[in-house]
Amino acid sequence: MTAVALKGLAARKLRALSTILAVLLGVALVAGTYILTDTINRSFDDIFTTALEGTDVVVTPREVVSQEGSEPPPFSEALLARVERVPGVEKAEGGIFSLVRITDAKGEPLGQGFAPQFAVSAASAPFEALTYVEGRAPRTASEAALDESNAEQAGIAIGDRVGVVGEGPLKLFRVVGLNRLGDTSTGGSSTVTLTLPEAQRIAGKAGELDQIAIAAADGVSPDELERRVAAVLPPTVQAETGQQNAERLTDEIASDLGFLRTALLVFAGIALVVGGFQIFNTFSITVAQRVREFGLLRTLGASRGQVLRVVLLEALLIGLLGAALGLLAGFGFAAGINALFEASGIDLPNTGLVFETRTLIVSLALGIGVTLVAAVTPALRATRVSPMAALLAAALPERRRSGRVLLAVATLLGLGGLAMLLAGLFGGGSAGQAAGLMGAGSAAILFAASLLSPRLVRPLAAVAGWPLERLRGLTGRLARENAMRKPGRTAVTSAALMIGLALVVFVTVFAAGLNKSIASAIDTIFQNDITVQSTDGFSPIPSTIARDVAGVEGVGDVGSIRFSFAKVGDAAGQQRVAGVDPTTIGGVFDFEFVEGSDATLRELTPSAALVDDGYAESNGIAVGDTVALLTPTGERPRFEVIGTIDDQTDFLGSFVIDQAAMASDFGEERDTYVLVGVAPGADAAAVEQRVKRLVDDRYPSAEALDQEELKRSQEQQINGLLNLIYALLALAVVVSIFGIVNTLALSIHERTRELGMLRAVGMTRRQVRRMIRYEAVITALIGALLGTALGVLFAALISRPLADEGFELAYPVGTLLVILALAALAGVVAAIGPARRASRLDVLEALSYE
Amino acid sequence: MSEQPTAATAGGDTAGAIVAATDLRRRYGEGEAAVDALDGVTTAFERGGFAAIMGPSGSGKSTLMHLLAGLDRPTGGSVRLDGVELAGLDDGKLTQLRRDKLGFVFQFFNLLPVLTAEENIVLPLSIAGRKPDREWLEQLISIVGLGDRRDHRPAELSGGQQQRVAVARALVARPAVVFADEPTGNLDSRSSEEVLELLRRSVDEFGQTVVMVTHEAHAAAYADRLVVLRDGRVAHDGAAGDEGDVLELMKAVG
Ligand SMILES: Nc1ncnc2c1ncn2[C@@H]1O[C@H](COP(=O)(O)OP(=O)(O)OP(=O)(O)O)[C@@H](O)[C@H]1O
Ligand SMILES: [Mg+2]
Repeated sequence: MTAVALKGLAARKLRALSTILAVLLGVALVAGTYILTDTINRSFDDIFTTALEGTDVVVTPREVVSQEGSEPPPFSEALLARVERVPGVEKAEGGIFSLVRITDAKGEPLGQGFAPQFAVSAASAPFEALTYVEGRAPRTASEAALDESNAEQAGIAIGDRVGVVGEGPLKLFRVVGLNRLGDTSTGGSSTVTLTLPEAQRIAGKAGELDQIAIAAADGVSPDELERRVAAVLPPTVQAETGQQNAERLTDEIASDLGFLRTALLVFAGIALVVGGFQIFNTFSITVAQRVREFGLLRTLGASRGQVLRVVLLEALLIGLLGAALGLLAGFGFAAGINALFEASGIDLPNTGLVFETRTLIVSLALGIGVTLVAAVTPALRATRVSPMAALLAAALPERRRSGRVLLAVATLLGLGGLAMLLAGLFGGGSAGQAAGLMGAGSAAILFAASLLSPRLVRPLAAVAGWPLERLRGLTGRLARENAMRKPGRTAVTSAALMIGLALVVFVTVFAAGLNKSIASAIDTIFQNDITVQSTDGFSPIPSTIARDVAGVEGVGDVGSIRFSFAKVGDAAGQQRVAGVDPTTIGGVFDFEFVEGSDATLRELTPSAALVDDGYAESNGIAVGDTVALLTPTGERPRFEVIGTIDDQTDFLGSFVIDQAAMASDFGEERDTYVLVGVAPGADAAAVEQRVKRLVDDRYPSAEALDQEELKRSQEQQINGLLNLIYALLALAVVVSIFGIVNTLALSIHERTRELGMLRAVGMTRRQVRRMIRYEAVITALIGALLGTALGVLFAALISRPLADEGFELAYPVGTLLVILALAALAGVVAAIGPARRASRLDVLEALSYE
Repeated sequence: MSEQPTAATAGGDTAGAIVAATDLRRRYGEGEAAVDALDGVTTAFERGGFAAIMGPSGSGKSTLMHLLAGLDRPTGGSVRLDGVELAGLDDGKLTQLRRDKLGFVFQFFNLLPVLTAEENIVLPLSIAGRKPDREWLEQLISIVGLGDRRDHRPAELSGGQQQRVAVARALVARPAVVFADEPTGNLDSRSSEEVLELLRRSVDEFGQTVVMVTHEAHAAAYADRLVVLRDGRVAHDGAAGDEGDVLELMKAVG
């Protein structure tokens, strides 16, 4: 029986190959994701371990409130003296480790922009983890050392000058040394080493430290020393052994990467589900075509079990091959991404790709599992072939499940999915629960649509085929009829494409809505003319910018917005808090008060807060209440709520407070946005030019944008993400195109005699090709139409609760039409092979074909 | 054409014929295993005639028909169809020739299951992108007796009805020749009669030329002329006569 299965595969090489591809692509993404993230984790583990080699105990600020994209606030230098007095401390040294922007002598930023850049303070033995390849450590306030790989890439040598922007304007330093971290690289980040006082000044941390490194005296274990040091520290600062610290940092990176991993695995899952559809279809058709073969086997005495095994063995082989090749492709994928990182200046340490046993097991299990699950129904149908079938060439027994049962199941599944989706949207669970419910709900709806789609094939084929029939007459007509001939088959084929396209359309519509909402929010709330922000669009920028810009001729009102995070009561998660200067912000920003008015702004003292209307409502907060916040510095300030605002597109967060309070209670003194107005009567264009020149010259990490540029910069951020998602969804779409190829090839095979007859009565090869091409186009369009409808539905549903935050749905009709056109094109591409084969059929052979 | 030397067969005179084969040969395979399906056949069919081709199984009937219709290429000899030498035509030209000048009726699987009876009838015209002559089409449909079935699909028609649709399809473009390969091989006697009657009427009433391969003496009796093949050669060529004549002749030849 094994021989029968093997021969079956070999006889259908092409079909086997494209079925294998269906498994391969999904598995490749799974394996690639694991290999890539494991490799990155291992790299950072190496980096942190190396960096902390000479350190027995390390003191760092405790993360009281986790802050996205921001470092925990530093602590006072005074702690150093306290630590030094702890018995068993041989040596203790303060250090700075701060995000900055490094530039060349002309102020042009080095590197690619998204690789982080740090200023670190030079350390002494035994703490210094950097080894000098050339030159020495900086000794004066005008000297700096640069990491070797960054210097090499920028062509900077000893004696050259580099610029550093931290908390203040650009400052130039003379390069006196080139260094590296142990044998590893710095994981893509670049570092500039400064003297401790200079690092403190650049980072805006005068009198403060980011960490204290401690060496233990002989005979004192790191654990013992850690306990002793911890005893003298305030609650906002923690002591860890070097090893603990390295492990914690690695874990943090791993959990950050966990999001990326989950996201990639979700896309891999989509590709695998789509592949499963295709495998199901291929096996259903081949089983139908092999009725006689199975009948014959049964006549010769093969049991049902044996027939089942023949089919499942074939599936097993395909799954195994697909998974194994997918694993290899996964290596290629990870290596490719790695190369991409290197090309953009983020060279990961050359530890080599990390291949865990888990990667092997998961990849094989998924590849084989998906194939077997998809093949099991067709295989069971094969066992129902009676021995008589061999003699009668009878058709396979039709599916037993009656249409009504199927309809009921699909309806239940669809309604259940909708309920889950709505529960996720409005149920008010945690973000994770909501996302899980919404994901499961969408998946259920997609499956329900797939189950229902055989019923939709006829009407949709009529719609999609109508123009072809109009334009092309008979070939269009036959293409449409052929597509509707086996509705189940066409439905499964197009449902695979539907899934991919529903997601593509969903993100497209959602992103369009986001862009529109942001643009209109910028129009309504930004009363300013020029906005200064970080070149990455979200990082803090030096607070001196606001002061400098205010001095530019022709500039009127200048207000700034800064951000921090706080915990509220016992509630899980943290809330974003915006800090404004109430005396200046009113001229450049419109708060859209729900309760209160612009006059309320004058009452915004350091102990008062404005609260987002939606947040206030769902947390039972009213004007006049007092809220206690836990800040990143461990303070617990209280604020009286003096008004509520309609915070469009969640720009400000949940609370708005005075910047004075933000400085004292949150330790945040850097702006994120500086909003600049032009003085009445001044030449706006000229003022804009002057502001831009100032920012360009002195603050390379920031950019000044007018309203239109600001909208475009926001749009670019969203579109960048959108393109990434497109690229990942493309995988699922490619798998479904292979599905069309497969189904088409199998259907044509079944229609050999019919094609022979058509050719005999005068159909040209060209017409045959066209007919098959149109059939593929119609199949693709059915999937595209269903996918578009579902994608729009998802976007409309999911954006409902966001409407409060000013989310406006937008339908990018042009883009949607392009997507439909691309789907049709995908059909054309899928038809190339099958159409060529069909047009080359020998007429006589085809006529006599059984 | 007067230099045509053979006096052996009446059909050998190809002058005025609508389709003519000269010393036609078709060999399958090579060397020892080679089979000469046709071993030098010279024959011609005149315009407006109804000819039957008979012969034992494997004698080359289907092969001859395929060569005459340009569905296959000979390994020797030539075919002339309505003044056109087939040897020089490429696949595209042959396809066009089949479409414009020939009609086909096969034993099995004649119709497209996805089209209605009427659509199947006009299929050759649709392929050519031409509009059917309405009057002629109505006449055809009423002759084949499918008036009330014209919108049915093949699966809803009996075997005889399907074959009558196929005959109408073969006639719709008023082709130079209709080729039928055992058109009644799969039908009961009543349906056979209907189909044969149709072919006969097309010859008598519209001057259609029909060449039909058959196994049945009863069917051959509908024809005017009878060509008998044996081992790839013409064994008899003459008037068909009635069913008794045909049976006698076959006995004599066989
Ligand atoms: N494609 C082919 N390859 C090899 N030999 C063939 C092929 N087609 C036909 N033959 C051989 O050529 C000879 C004539 O075949 P043909 O089909 O013309 O016979 P026929 O008279 O139509 O027979 P039947 O009455 O059984 O239909 C036979 O010996 C047959 O085996
Ligand atoms: Mg034959």
